[in-house]
Amino acid sequence: MAEISRHKSLKPVMACLSSGKGGVGKTSLTVNLAFALAQKGLRVLVVDGDLGLANVDVLLGLQVKTTIQDVLDRDADPLEVVVYLEPRLGVLPASSGVPDLANLGPEDHQQLGSILQPIAQHFDFILVDTAAGIGASVLWFNTFVDYNILVLTPDPTAMTDAYALIKVLSRDYHRKTFHLLLNQVKSEQEARQVYEHLARVASHFLNLNLEYLGSVPQDASVSKGVRHQKPFIKVAPQSKAALAIFSQAERLRGWAAQKLPRKTVGEAGG
Amino acid sequence: MQNPLCSLTACPFGAEECPICAEVQRLQGECERLRELSHTDALTGLFNRRYLMAALDQERERTRRTGLPTSLIMVDLDHFKRVNDSYGHQAGDEALKWASQVWRKNLRRIDILCRYGGEEFAVILPGTRLTAAVRAAKRLQNSLEKSPVTLLGRNVLLTASFGVDTYLHTEELTVRAFIKRTDRYLLEAKIKGRNQVCCRKPEKARQTMEVTIDERAALYGGSTLPEQGAAPKK
Repeated sequence: MAEISRHKSLKPVMACLSSGKGGVGKTSLTVNLAFALAQKGLRVLVVDGDLGLANVDVLLGLQVKTTIQDVLDRDADPLEVVVYLEPRLGVLPASSGVPDLANLGPEDHQQLGSILQPIAQHFDFILVDTAAGIGASVLWFNTFVDYNILVLTPDPTAMTDAYALIKVLSRDYHRKTFHLLLNQVKSEQEARQVYEHLARVASHFLNLNLEYLGSVPQDASVSKGVRHQKPFIKVAPQSKAALAIFSQAERLRGWAAQKLPRKTVGEAGG
Repeated sequence: MQNPLCSLTACPFGAEECPICAEVQRLQGECERLRELSHTDALTGLFNRRYLMAALDQERERTRRTGLPTSLIMVDLDHFKRVNDSYGHQAGDEALKWASQVWRKNLRRIDILCRYGGEEFAVILPGTRLTAAVRAAKRLQNSLEKSPVTLLGRNVLLTASFGVDTYLHTEELTVRAFIKRTDRYLLEAKIKGRNQVCCRKPEKARQTMEVTIDERAALYGGSTLPEQGAAPKK
């Protein structure tokens, strides 16, 4: 574990997985992508951005003692709060059932930013799993990161909620690029259709071009992984869903290779 | 370090009738009275304009830091000149005091009711969204309308016009500009015939935007969109 903190990454990539609608598999995809990236040799940090109703720890069966809340409230050392699942994979856990944290104000977000920035330097890739909905913290995390990934399933409510989030982020927070990740699809063809439809609507009404990140098919191994509190890419590495995750992780690794110049905390919106 | 004279309650040397101690205590009371006077409107007992500006500035800062919106209601008694002309200025003063009492009873403890000047009033509603502020303004409107004031032995019905606006943490706005913006809605209420509440368009005060009916129809209602490359609808 000490190996991680010795090497500082100058420009870690930060990406946010959001959905608008809850229950589309955001946390599961975040965790599996993180394991896949770590397997490819990157140092990865998963930030549980659902600050009031955390569930990354539940999904992984972690025994969490300290959380982001301890850093915010008691000045706990953020690096001490990070739980390492593997030598190259850390999780910054959040608290569950803490309404205060779900309603942070601009000043709290600024503090959160100043906490995340120094931790981020110890990793190559930061994946934030945000809460569902379009609350202030979801919007803030999405403006803080470099890449916005929208997770959705092919049902109309998930599409509408993803669209609503894209609309708010583009018009109010000037985000221009969104990567769509389709989950629980019957086929790649279905995923493409949903993407193309949403892209057409976004182009027409918002004058935005949406990017297609990929799709994860419906797969029994996913629910098996959740039941065992283990990532499905570990439980069933040859499953269709796991292979899809590895392929998307490869794309994310490409982002890390580009090493985009990082924004400073002061530039983050909120 | 705190001045020991500020908390002087008895002579430090134990004298029972100390003239210096008595004088310090008198001056302390005088300071307190002047402090009260400096932010109180003498006629109505409400906060005055000076206090309004300072309190609004403080609430604006709170909004900026916490993200909780601050709402403002600007109020003007309708046809107040007629009250003065018909019943005299003393009765006019009674009417102002009456309206202040009625409204004070219909606001929360955290709301700041001020006399802005003449027959104009202002209410700061800390941590309050536009819809709740509009409800509060309507409550003030109804309560006054239903409480006639007795002037020179006659029951006189008073009404008022209300302009409501909300300051969001995402906005760059001075206190004066916020008051001016809210005043525009008060003017609108006057122009539309008085005794009503006008406010900022709710979509302008909303921090997020809804998906419109057209967008919903395009997303899953089966409506067809023009081919890509056509002029986007803003």
